[in-house]
Amino acid sequence: MRSSDVLGYSFSAIRLRKMRAGLTILGVMIGIAAIVALMSFTAGLQVTMTNQFEEGFGSDTLTVSSGGGIFDLLGGGGADSDFSLLLNDTDMINAIDHVESSVAVMTKTVQANFSGNIVPGSLSGINFTAYAAMYNTFVAEYGSIPESPVDTDVILGSAIADPWQNGTIVAEVGDEVSIVWTGRVNGSIVQTNYTGNVVAILEEIGGFGIGPLDIGFYIPIDWAVDFFETEEISSITVKMDTEEQDEVDALIAEIEDMFGGLVSVTQPAALLSMMDDMLGILNIFLAGIAGISLIVAGVGIMNIMIVSLIERTREIGILKGMGMHGRTVMGIFLSEAMMIGLLGGIFGIITGVVLGNLIGGVVGDLGSSGIIPAGGPSSIPDITPIFTLDLLTFAIVFGVGIAAIFGLYPAWRASKLKPVDALRSE
Amino acid sequence: MHYEEPSLTATLEYTMTPEDFIPKVIEIKNLTKTYMMGQVPVEALCGVSLSVHKGDFIAVLGPSGSGKSTLLNMIGALDRPTSGTVIVNGTDISTLSDNQLADLRQSVGFVYQTFNLISRLDAIGNVELPLSIAGVPKKKRRFTAEVMLKIVGLEDRIHHKPSELSGGERQRVAVARALVNNPSFIIMDEPTGNLDTKTGLEIMEFAKKLNKEQGITLIIVTHDTEIGSQARRTIRLRDGQIESDEVNY
Repeated sequence: MRSSDVLGYSFSAIRLRKMRAGLTILGVMIGIAAIVALMSFTAGLQVTMTNQFEEGFGSDTLTVSSGGGIFDLLGGGGADSDFSLLLNDTDMINAIDHVESSVAVMTKTVQANFSGNIVPGSLSGINFTAYAAMYNTFVAEYGSIPESPVDTDVILGSAIADPWQNGTIVAEVGDEVSIVWTGRVNGSIVQTNYTGNVVAILEEIGGFGIGPLDIGFYIPIDWAVDFFETEEISSITVKMDTEEQDEVDALIAEIEDMFGGLVSVTQPAALLSMMDDMLGILNIFLAGIAGISLIVAGVGIMNIMIVSLIERTREIGILKGMGMHGRTVMGIFLSEAMMIGLLGGIFGIITGVVLGNLIGGVVGDLGSSGIIPAGGPSSIPDITPIFTLDLLTFAIVFGVGIAAIFGLYPAWRASKLKPVDALRSE
Repeated sequence: MHYEEPSLTATLEYTMTPEDFIPKVIEIKNLTKTYMMGQVPVEALCGVSLSVHKGDFIAVLGPSGSGKSTLLNMIGALDRPTSGTVIVNGTDISTLSDNQLADLRQSVGFVYQTFNLISRLDAIGNVELPLSIAGVPKKKRRFTAEVMLKIVGLEDRIHHKPSELSGGERQRVAVARALVNNPSFIIMDEPTGNLDTKTGLEIMEFAKKLNKEQGITLIIVTHDTEIGSQARRTIRLRDGQIESDEVNY
């Protein structure tokens, strides 16, 4: 029997039991759609996060922090919480080999009042010029970053000026801003007001990173020392003149030794690689969950193929009675299963593409629609799912492969039926 | 020592019959078939021997359980004997593999009591099926199938599914399907069993016509003596053995 006739015969059998075949195809479709949607989304997420991190950190920087912060979780650790970095610690760091420059960052959570609009955010005291040299995302969209700032100069992140990112501007260059900080100074709770003028609004940066943030206020570091009445800083960002890992490792060790092991030194590149690994594991984990649903669909295929075998025993007898070979019978049953897998795969990919975009859109909307407003942990950029040809091919091959594997046993049983016994069945 | 050589003429006169000049399509010798019913062996056929010549029209008669269907399965290469030989078209089926048996079945036409048509295929689809199995290209098999349906008088029903045909029409589709591969013989297993008397007679008339005009070898298995009497040769089976093998004049 010709292959085209085998396929035609198989297809006629599928068409006869539309509802049953349709439900089985649906099972495969759900599995494939889940794989395509999740894998494309995590691939998109990985790319977005990598870009954001690269922009946010710069690959030639190190971050020295006293408390450890998020780095405690990601591999820093070991820092004593009573220890604090001081403003002039940068001088010591600058003296080390391979350190090009360093910037002290003093960060506090504050609220700003723009003519009655209260916007929460993260205030950082920095050296504007040095910070701009370190991060290429510290660029003004409106106004300009002053080279010699006066004490009242304030630079705003884009999400502070436009908190809901819907065109509702709460602050423009030239506006006066009143910043309120509530904190503890020398053991007593104080509330301090700072009034400044907006001199620049940064370009939109996107989500991640420890560098410039969309939800950040930036004031000159000297003014921050006065405002918060402390020389204790949150972190020091170090710009290196090398990217050689051996030299970077030596530099990290030297900084840690310098502070007696009481600081965490984080290398963004290492963090990035760790994040990549974590996302890779997440990707495999999600694909595994989706794969399980596909295996369940495979069991469904096996189930209907066995039912079909039982129902069509006599038909197999008739075909064998007319001289059909066992391997052709096997081909008919296998191609039926594989057609179900293929159709499920095609519909699954279509659904997966729609679903992937939907998830990407929903996650992006969380950041841009104000569901997570400025002042939240970070703004979330749009995540575009990535549908590679490899992914789509994998989805189809996996769908058809699962169908073939689970269709093999019923097909084999059908091929081994004796015509005389099959013809006798009711 | 004197040895007298027999004359060739005398030998021929003594051993040859007119039938010996007609090729045999089936030759069965000492055929036995034993089934296991659980742990108990049941002999369905014991020591059956017979020959079928090209153009024969044979009725195999016998009560239920006499071994008719078992004999038919052997002749049709659907099953293998326990012992003895079954030679179909010059090939001993007991020596063949499953695939070779399948190939042999492509040269045998079957007509069953329950028609055994594929319900989802229309009349022409059913008739095309043996050609499709044999790997005949679509265009050619469609043409051949149309001719066959015309021969059985169903040229205006070719796109009807079995459920849309009467019993007689279904059996005629089955006959067309059995004929389409140009088989060396056709086996009909109770072909009138599911038909009313009039339609049954029509089918028998058609079968006789095929045998008479086309010279097609027919083996009809039936328990109906009236049907059996229409064949030119009647073989009666009882308890797995041939009770009688008569030519009807």
